[in-house]
Amino acid sequence: MLFNTIQFVIFLPLVIVLYYLMPHKYRWILLLAASYIFYMFWDVRYIFLIVSSTLADYLFALQMEKHETRGKRKLYLILSLVVNLGLLFTFKYLNFFTTSLNGLFQATDLAVSISPLKVLLPVGISFYTFQTLSYSIDVYYGRQKAERHLGIFALYVSFFPQLVAGPIERFSRLAPQLKQNHPFKKENLVAGLQLIVYGLFTKMVIADNLAIFVDKIYESPDAFNSLSLFTGMVFYAFQIYGDFFGYSLIAIGSAKIMGVNLIDNFQNPYLSANIREFWQRWHISLITWFRDYLYFPLGGSRVKKLRWALNIAVVFVVSGFWHGANYTFLIWGALFAVFYLLSNRIFNSTQNFRKTSVKGLVSVIGTFIIVLFLWIFFRSPDLSTAVLFLKNLFSNSGTDQIYTIVPPVVWIMLSVFVISDILLYNNRIDKWLSARSMPVRILVMAFLAFCIIVFAAVDHTPFIYFQF
Amino acid sequence: MMRNPKIYIVAFSLLAFLVSGNYLYENFFYEDDLQKYSEVINQIRAVGEDTDILYIGESSNNTFHPDDKDKRAISEMLIDYLPEMEICDITYPASHAGTYYDILRAIPVEKKINTVVVTLNLRSFNAQWIYSDLETQLQKSMVLLKPYPPLFNRFLLSFKAYDNKTKEERKRKIRHKWKHDKLVFPEPFHVDNTYDWDGYHWRHGGKQPDGTLDKALRELACHYVKGYGFQIDINHNPRIKDFDKIVKLAENRGWNLVFNLLAENTEKADEIIGSELTYFMEYNRKLLYDYFTGQGVKVVDNFYIAPDNQFIDQDWTTEHYREDARKDIAENLANSIKQILYNNN
Repeated sequence: MLFNTIQFVIFLPLVIVLYYLMPHKYRWILLLAASYIFYMFWDVRYIFLIVSSTLADYLFALQMEKHETRGKRKLYLILSLVVNLGLLFTFKYLNFFTTSLNGLFQATDLAVSISPLKVLLPVGISFYTFQTLSYSIDVYYGRQKAERHLGIFALYVSFFPQLVAGPIERFSRLAPQLKQNHPFKKENLVAGLQLIVYGLFTKMVIADNLAIFVDKIYESPDAFNSLSLFTGMVFYAFQIYGDFFGYSLIAIGSAKIMGVNLIDNFQNPYLSANIREFWQRWHISLITWFRDYLYFPLGGSRVKKLRWALNIAVVFVVSGFWHGANYTFLIWGALFAVFYLLSNRIFNSTQNFRKTSVKGLVSVIGTFIIVLFLWIFFRSPDLSTAVLFLKNLFSNSGTDQIYTIVPPVVWIMLSVFVISDILLYNNRIDKWLSARSMPVRILVMAFLAFCIIVFAAVDHTPFIYFQF
Repeated sequence: MMRNPKIYIVAFSLLAFLVSGNYLYENFFYEDDLQKYSEVINQIRAVGEDTDILYIGESSNNTFHPDDKDKRAISEMLIDYLPEMEICDITYPASHAGTYYDILRAIPVEKKINTVVVTLNLRSFNAQWIYSDLETQLQKSMVLLKPYPPLFNRFLLSFKAYDNKTKEERKRKIRHKWKHDKLVFPEPFHVDNTYDWDGYHWRHGGKQPDGTLDKALRELACHYVKGYGFQIDINHNPRIKDFDKIVKLAENRGWNLVFNLLAENTEKADEIIGSELTYFMEYNRKLLYDYFTGQGVKVVDNFYIAPDNQFIDQDWTTEHYREDARKDIAENLANSIKQILYNNN
């Protein structure tokens, strides 16, 4: 079920009403059932993956806690890693490796060919796998007690607002909230609705409208002139931001209405003054996951400089590969590592300038341009498209112009989004609105709601991060 | 009563938003959206105030062969037999009873239509058409025509409140129907569903007398099996429900209703598949004819009217006819309409 469909418009209020009508001790049953139904709207068959992942981690964690010897605990951690990463590998990466191997066989004239697996990538598998992995690792290190209540644990894995595209929550943050009794609070309802409306605006009005033109450009980058390609780069930057930020806001807002606070996933990433700061503001729940479960175990920054640089590179390359089984994502991650290291060298201490100063503005614009270029690899379906895009960007060999066919309303809406992002710097729409008078709150919400209804793109456009 | 004035402010704001939003949308954006997403509105608007006959159909109405001397649509040929009548048509490619219903419902009540001729295409009852890729676009184009306030229609469109499935979902649905809908043959047969039947022809079909494989013929055989190898379930086929709704609508609007049961290439079906397939074609024809006649609709049976050489597409299953067949269908229809009008008077 997609957040931007009529099914969700009916589903969410129904769940919320039932949630508040139900006694606290039964709410987990409702939320678990709702979460599984939510997931099964996409494909009934793949619910077994979530259930198996849940059962495996639930049992392994209990076993880990039961045994005091390090060896036994490690055995159950390894089992958890094998199950989770095994599922992820089979459904997400196996075909990438078979295709790569087949290519290698072909290049070396070996008459061997491995048939690819005919499976659909289960929506959100990377998200819930990482969520359960963090739990197992935390239990192994004794940072987290194993959960006895299977229902609560299953709900932690599958809580529908953040099930398919995050934010990736830690057990220690989410589970206590799921156990807690949340009486109905008007403030939660208002804040939640404000977040959902703004999220729908960024997804349906910004991301989905820009997607139309971005798709055109990436279909044949050789046909467009440089300015169009650059326009496409800017559009994609705001498409992916509007899409994923929008999803996160709707997730956070939906949970908020039920009294559950999810982690903020974005904080004005395009207003970052360097790449390091960008990664403190973009997909925060993923990058903190990598920090805690990959970067720190590798030694983090408490190692020699070269080793530290290697750690950074590993984190970014793995994070690129997490996004998708494609060389484009690997390159995207590797390039981000390079720019991260460079930016760390240049800005080796906290910034000592204001972003509104000339130096600050130049840094923000410079960072944005670097990110624009790196998105080319992220968006391109394959490496040759990315290379073609870059070649044509600098050679201006195409003649088609995209900006002439973009309707004025798209430019206006994009401007509204950019301005609102600046206004909401280090803030969130619900918090910003709570400091405004009632007429202003009503007007802003009415404007956003009107834009969602009237200017939303109408084509079927799933959230970009669902594919990861 | 006034303990919490904020609730009243919110309620009033919501009402004001809906009313003013609808006004703004209807006056400044609606027409653009109609032209962009529901172009068929122009055909609906073109229906005359005092139309005698409205013909509604898909591409079978106006597809012609380049060699045809008379390239007119079936609906246009009707005038040859009913010269005194004002005839209009709404032709919407790939459409079916579900969309005809939405279109007919969108015709303003003030337009005084006497008789509505609705295309009854047998293949539109099969799984391939019901779950066709084109369905999402088709359904999307109907949303703004719904009889609700324009802003609400746009809300439905924005939130994809229509049959909005991905290609994969549609493929899965089709495959499921082919595999699980049991076919009851008159004589014992080696398969009992469309999926296996199609598979059989894929493996064994298209063989020339000398044993060589004719790939095009094999593909055509499979098309025929998938296109006609099904049995309509009156209680569950969604198309039946769509036609039922049209019958009700016509009753409410006081229209004479004629269903134009289109010709199918039974000759070719018999030649490349055999009597097992023509059995199902006939089974479904009779079922549709009896069912809708039983509902008081005039069903004009053109099922067997066109010989093989009158079908334009020889390598595909379509209802696209050459000039003679179009004329025959028009004549048949005109005779039935005359009969209805004669009986009414």
